[in-house]
Amino acid sequence: MTSRTTLPSPGSSAAELGEARREIENLVCGMPGGDPDQMGFQHPWEIRAFAMAVAAHQELKFDWSEFQKALIASIQDWQTANPDAGESPWSYYQHWVAALEAVLADAGLLSRTEVDLQTQELLALPPNRNHHEAHTEPIAVDLARTVHV
Amino acid sequence: MSAKIRTQEEIAARVKALESMLIEQGVMTTPAIDRMVEIYENEVGPQLGAKVVAKAWSDADFKARLIEDATEACQELGIGGLQGEDMVVLENTEGVHNVIVCTLCSCYPWPVLGLPPNWYKDPQYRAAISREPRQVLRESFNFTVPDGVEVRVWDSSSEMRYWVLPQRPAGTEGWTEEQLLPLVTRDSMIGVGPVGVVAS
Repeated sequence: MTSRTTLPSPGSSAAELGEARREIENLVCGMPGGDPDQMGFQHPWEIRAFAMAVAAHQELKFDWSEFQKALIASIQDWQTANPDAGESPWSYYQHWVAALEAVLADAGLLSRTEVDLQTQELLALPPNRNHHEAHTEPIAVDLARTVHV
Repeated sequence: MSAKIRTQEEIAARVKALESMLIEQGVMTTPAIDRMVEIYENEVGPQLGAKVVAKAWSDADFKARLIEDATEACQELGIGGLQGEDMVVLENTEGVHNVIVCTLCSCYPWPVLGLPPNWYKDPQYRAAISREPRQVLRESFNFTVPDGVEVRVWDSSSEMRYWVLPQRPAGTEGWTEEQLLPLVTRDSMIGVGPVGVVAS
């Protein structure tokens, strides 16, 4: 696996990506809710969470079934707590995050308390700093050059 | 174990916290995560943006509405979503080529273009594209904007997200939207690449 340089490089060919993708799909097709059609991402954090679980599995060599079990447990807990499932908001990837935290906590790699703390710190930062202002003019213009024939 | 439903903001921060903790501990690296994201980054979105572009190429009235108010025109096609609000479409012309960037973070019109590619978030792209746009396009993206064309770089913020309406390629007269659709690439809507080649 080639490491990724910052700007696009010919490093990852479509074939390589296709291969990596098949590996991942083999992992996820056994998951609850693992129907690739249902796994569509709606928010950027979801894809990060998804990627982190797969990367953690690959780097830490934990058994994928552990993650699977944790995901099932999280979904079951939620269903028990929300018997009226039709009416409660549901987020598949929130369970995905909960399962990842559970696996990592079991492995002694982090504690929920630490995650809580760090999350609070991030939330306390102003979002995007001053990037809420609309910029209505181009920030750079490279004028056309006169072409001398 | 409880997975109480959190707001999007809370959960996004939690995922970010998790990621930075794991990287700090050396459990995993950013490239390992980016690599996974790369595989899926085309999953959501670019097709939606392509649909909008193909329609604008075939329907002059729609194109006028799109340029007037992209958010509203996209809603006509059922494309929207919270972060898609205040989208502005920049039309490429014979004389002007537009490129988008977010100089501070990674503001991106993701309901239309999907998740931003990794390089879009990279400080190197963010800084270089506004300094030497023509050169960056040529050297990093292998995309040459003719010297006779002005290059404008637009900074997306969370209040106003830009994206690019590329020019309809020559040789596509009389093509249907369905035929035009595959020509619209994600990079052409960011402004860092061409539309697809028309086979003659």
